[in-house]
Amino acid sequence: MKMQPEALLKQEYKIRGGDFVNAGESSCRIRNTLREIGIDSDIIRRIAIAAYEAEMNVVMYAHHGTMQVDVYPDKILLIVDDRGPGIENIQKAMQPGFSTATEEMREMGFGAGMGLPNIKKNADDFKIASHVGKGTKLEIIILLDEKNG
Amino acid sequence: MVKQAFIHSIKVDEAKCIGCVACMKVCPTKAIRVRNGKAHINFERCIDCGGCLRVCPHNAIIPLTTSPSDLNRFKYKIALPSPVIYTQFGEKVMPNEILTALQDIGFDHVYDEALVCEMISVAIEEYLDENKSPRPIISSTCPVVVRLIQRLFPSLCKNILPLEPPREIAAKNLRTEVARDKNLAPEDIGIIDITPCSAKMVSISRPETMERSHLDGAISIREIYNEVMMKLKSNAPMIMMQTQARISGIGIGWAFEGGEIRGLKYGNSVSVSGVLDTIRILEDVESGKLKNIEYLECLICPDGCIGGPLTVENRFIAKSNVLRLIRHFGGKKRVNTELVRTLYKDNFFSFKWAVEPKSLPPLDKDRKVAIKKLKLKEQIISTLPGTNCGICGAPDCQTLAEDIVLGAAKLEDCIYLDRKKQVSKSNGDKNETN
Repeated sequence: MKMQPEALLKQEYKIRGGDFVNAGESSCRIRNTLREIGIDSDIIRRIAIAAYEAEMNVVMYAHHGTMQVDVYPDKILLIVDDRGPGIENIQKAMQPGFSTATEEMREMGFGAGMGLPNIKKNADDFKIASHVGKGTKLEIIILLDEKNG
Repeated sequence: MVKQAFIHSIKVDEAKCIGCVACMKVCPTKAIRVRNGKAHINFERCIDCGGCLRVCPHNAIIPLTTSPSDLNRFKYKIALPSPVIYTQFGEKVMPNEILTALQDIGFDHVYDEALVCEMISVAIEEYLDENKSPRPIISSTCPVVVRLIQRLFPSLCKNILPLEPPREIAAKNLRTEVARDKNLAPEDIGIIDITPCSAKMVSISRPETMERSHLDGAISIREIYNEVMMKLKSNAPMIMMQTQARISGIGIGWAFEGGEIRGLKYGNSVSVSGVLDTIRILEDVESGKLKNIEYLECLICPDGCIGGPLTVENRFIAKSNVLRLIRHFGGKKRVNTELVRTLYKDNFFSFKWAVEPKSLPPLDKDRKVAIKKLKLKEQIISTLPGTNCGICGAPDCQTLAEDIVLGAAKLEDCIYLDRKKQVSKSNGDKNETN
């Protein structure tokens, strides 16, 4: 088995469910951090979109959660772990347009059913694990190529 | 072209600067530091928004514009006023009177930019029709917004509308037409923007999307205000009704926020003004939040160009004036849509090249060193008081920490930290004596 090299940088942010006022702050801070360490702007954009969608999922559906960003020499790993209702049917949730958002959320412009598909689209590797009644964990990997390294 | 190629269009007058922190505090890109009692602008970060100029209580921030003597180089001088000028002289003065007065103060010709604004409105629709992604398309009119995106939102450069703004298109067209009609060499014609904007000079001397600007200089509305006012008082009532009929209500609307989107058939368009709100909405765009929006107009000055730092009239009165003018001239399209479409297809409006990202530099070019510096920076932030007082010469504690890790400041620059140390030291002394 190949040994995983140690992360150069680890940061963790807390996300509170239902906190629409501060929603998006964690992904914004991650973006600033990545800028300061010179990650290519197009890579940052992909991470920003994935992080924002994941953060919004926690805010909209879960009680609370954490977003962790690990910077490796060759990739960025984003782990979003929440305590919440979990997802009953992951396959369904991955379908574009599928959403369990409430009417209120939709009125605020959320819940278009593009969250998870959008994360997947922007990730080089994407894992999702969920336990109904417990919570959901996302692992998002975005690779840094030679040019951006 | 202007003789002196300005890199930026503002400078600090050190004789007037007393080293207060007013400008440093409002700078959206944290480009200002106060060192040895004077404000210094880091031009790598500056986006020429004029925020500093607006707040300086001592008028120590000077906008750089074309000097009147510089105009004498040209055989034929054309004034190209921003539609904002129509809002500056009270509610009774009509656009034509202002154009005539402007000509009378020393120009051979004046041209109403509002008409070209309306042309660009049509061109924007053409572009949106033909290009369905990315979204939103962000307006390229405000030179500060373009520079803000290059530095703080580099990945959004591809969302910028790749069409030149009205002032450039008007100048491009004028030079060809006037050279032909008056039998002049193009370089003998001086086309001068009469502007409310502190960034215009830099967008003319260092354009981002072509080799050289079609404009030859910029003079602020403030500079010509008094002279135009005097002419307005002495001039007889206007008789140039023919030109009056061509004034465009849609074009005049470009003077304030929403001008670009009001006439657009794409209903799902948004306009934003002011530096903080612009930054906020661009953050949302970068998160992919606003993909359902077709067109985003961002203007860095509050309420748009009528809130420009080089205006005279307060922007609320100016807004009332512009609304009245729109009512008067109506929202009827006055340009030849077919002609605009043809010009559009000929790439008459297009950028020569796309806006290129100019990201602010990372903490270090070497990723590993940058990460080390980032960790050190976070450590320093935790020791600083977090009160963002600015006495150290940096706008806030976070920026001081960044300056320290970059070697541009010292921890001792924080006077509170020093005091904290002294307090704990004197406590230690007491303990020793006890």
